[in-house]
Amino acid sequence: MKQVIDDTEDVELDFGNEDEAQSLRRAWIPHPLASFLHLFFRVAAIVTYLICDWFSKSFTSCFIIIITLLCCDFWSVKNVTGRILVGLRWWNQINDDGRSLWLFEARKMSSQGGTEVEAKIFWLGLIMCPVIWTGFFFTSLFSLKIHWLVLVLAGVTLQLANLYGYLRCKAGGLEFPATSSFMQGHQFLQRPDVIYGVL
Amino acid sequence: MAEVDDSRKPMFAGLSDVSISADIPVEGEINVPVGTPSQDDEYSTLDEPVKDTILRDLTAVGKKFVHVMYPKKSSALLRDWDLWGPLLLCVTLALMLQGNSVDSKEEGGPQFAEVFVIIWFGSVIITLNSKLLGGTISFFQSLCVLGYCIMPLTVAMVVCRLVLLGGSGTVSFIIRLVVVTASFSWSTFASTAFLVDSQPPNRKALVVYPVFLFYFVIGWMVLTFSPSA
Repeated sequence: MKQVIDDTEDVELDFGNEDEAQSLRRAWIPHPLASFLHLFFRVAAIVTYLICDWFSKSFTSCFIIIITLLCCDFWSVKNVTGRILVGLRWWNQINDDGRSLWLFEARKMSSQGGTEVEAKIFWLGLIMCPVIWTGFFFTSLFSLKIHWLVLVLAGVTLQLANLYGYLRCKAGGLEFPATSSFMQGHQFLQRPDVIYGVL
Repeated sequence: MAEVDDSRKPMFAGLSDVSISADIPVEGEINVPVGTPSQDDEYSTLDEPVKDTILRDLTAVGKKFVHVMYPKKSSALLRDWDLWGPLLLCVTLALMLQGNSVDSKEEGGPQFAEVFVIIWFGSVIITLNSKLLGGTISFFQSLCVLGYCIMPLTVAMVVCRLVLLGGSGTVSFIIRLVVVTASFSWSTFASTAFLVDSQPPNRKALVVYPVFLFYFVIGWMVLTFSPSA
């Protein structure tokens, strides 16, 4: 019996070290999947646009693949990675009286939100890609490849829309209390950590 | 503290003749449990799980397709607009209108992009037209309605391709003509049912006419499609 007790006393458990490494990683990038996806779709669309001529002779399949990637990117950045990485979200809604409003919500404290690294990843990805697509717009315009121009225009539109929406969110817009008449028909409960506003 | 005394008065009414020195301090706490309302968990969509977001958007798109099938006066198509349905329909229609010339890269290219340009550019033009005529509908709502109402013509395209598998004689042409005419009328009727309410009354014909033209052009592309065998 004594031996068993000695054995248990001598054993050192290294849980502390493992937790440290993991918590260090989590302190840098708490949401690795969201960060990866944020960049993956955008970069994949750009890379596919650049190399698709080598792989496939069919314009249609390239077009569809790039449009699908651009749409997945638009949806995921607008609805998922924005709120996970930086706690911002923007959308449009139509009131009961038919008015169209562009609204946003912003998290005040970043308790559950991302860290600085994630914010940098988010904004870097958000800004660089529309710039690259605008470059593609000019190259395809001047090389007179008109059917690629349609694709590039779609890409520029989608990426610029997200960039514009998030920049307006960040700039704060016009705040208003959640019980005002803007919000008729949609219950937005006042939460102390979220700001609602008009873009 | 005054509330404490008030609430205790009825309970201890029988003891009213008992004299208690007024100097005894009554201390204590009353904790009224504030029930967190169930709505607290919804409606900041900042924290909702991703699956909820996906499901919400998918059901919205599905509902709109159903509304196009049965165009009653409902506000779902207009209130929560989205452009995913039009994109899907546009891609499907463009793919089907491509013909069997997948092997020759020059043929496939312009036709595919042409359909895209016609549909989206046409929708934008119609929307601008209706806004210039004084309509109250917003830009994206109008794009949403016009895009979703392409669905009958997409169905007609599928039917036409199936009919063409059986041969391309006069009979198949008549069948296709009937199908395309029916679906074109359905598209025009469905979209005007949604769009026309937002227009001033003496301008309704001016708004319906471009919509008619738009679906006519798409119907024409569907009808004159012939696979280059």
